[in-house]
Amino acid sequence: MGMKKTLDVINAMEAEGVIGRYAIAGAIAAYNYIEPTVTEDLDILISFETHPDRPRAGLITLSPILSYLKTKGYTEYRKEGLLIEGWPVQFLPVADDLDSEALEKAQEVEIRIDESQGSVRTRVLRPEHLVALSLRVGRPKDSIRIIQFLEAGIANVQHLCDVLDRHHLSDAWRAFCRRAGVADPCQLQSPR
Amino acid sequence: MTENRNYPDVSDILARKAEGRREAAKRSFGEKIAWVEQMRERLAPLKRAREERLAARRDLPED
Repeated sequence: MGMKKTLDVINAMEAEGVIGRYAIAGAIAAYNYIEPTVTEDLDILISFETHPDRPRAGLITLSPILSYLKTKGYTEYRKEGLLIEGWPVQFLPVADDLDSEALEKAQEVEIRIDESQGSVRTRVLRPEHLVALSLRVGRPKDSIRIIQFLEAGIANVQHLCDVLDRHHLSDAWRAFCRRAGVADPCQLQSPR
Repeated sequence: MTENRNYPDVSDILARKAEGRREAAKRSFGEKIAWVEQMRERLAPLKRAREERLAARRDLPED
């Protein structure tokens, strides 16, 4: 058990076409850039291949994923996550343009967890998209994560401001900066 | 009320903690995941105890 095996299962799902492109999101994705905090689950942003005979809009069902995982013996849930090799995994289908762009721009990484688990290739969302997605979700822990990114100077300010603009999050961003008492890097960069 | 009290200077402790956070942030992605997996194991008994406390509270008869 362990994250490497969890990602091996998810990589196999992608290779077998059960899911389309995927990337690690949420707290685990943030580990690639900032100080880790303990988290309970692994968020996986996924796309579904679009079939011409299937309507593009409407409710997305995770049934094919759950059926596939059931055949592999993964049936136990912990809170909202399906337990895969010890990690509760939440599959989050791309639901808007921000998700879609975040997944498209996700970077390939090879993670070497430890000697016993070895390495695994995967994708992780970029910091600018993680900040934008945290802003959109807006829980207290998301605000802390945004501040961690800002303090660490990890996100590319120009890219971040462009992402926020493109996805109509600039007002929410300015409100966040006021509330959190941080200087708005977008404002500092190019006064609007 | 507190103007006459002398408190110790803890700035060096806070500075060390901040340095520890910076060091943690510098670890590799894999090292951070390994750390969290260890923490999850260590925290599991505390989590179980909390869940049991919450369940016991839920099971209490209402007045």
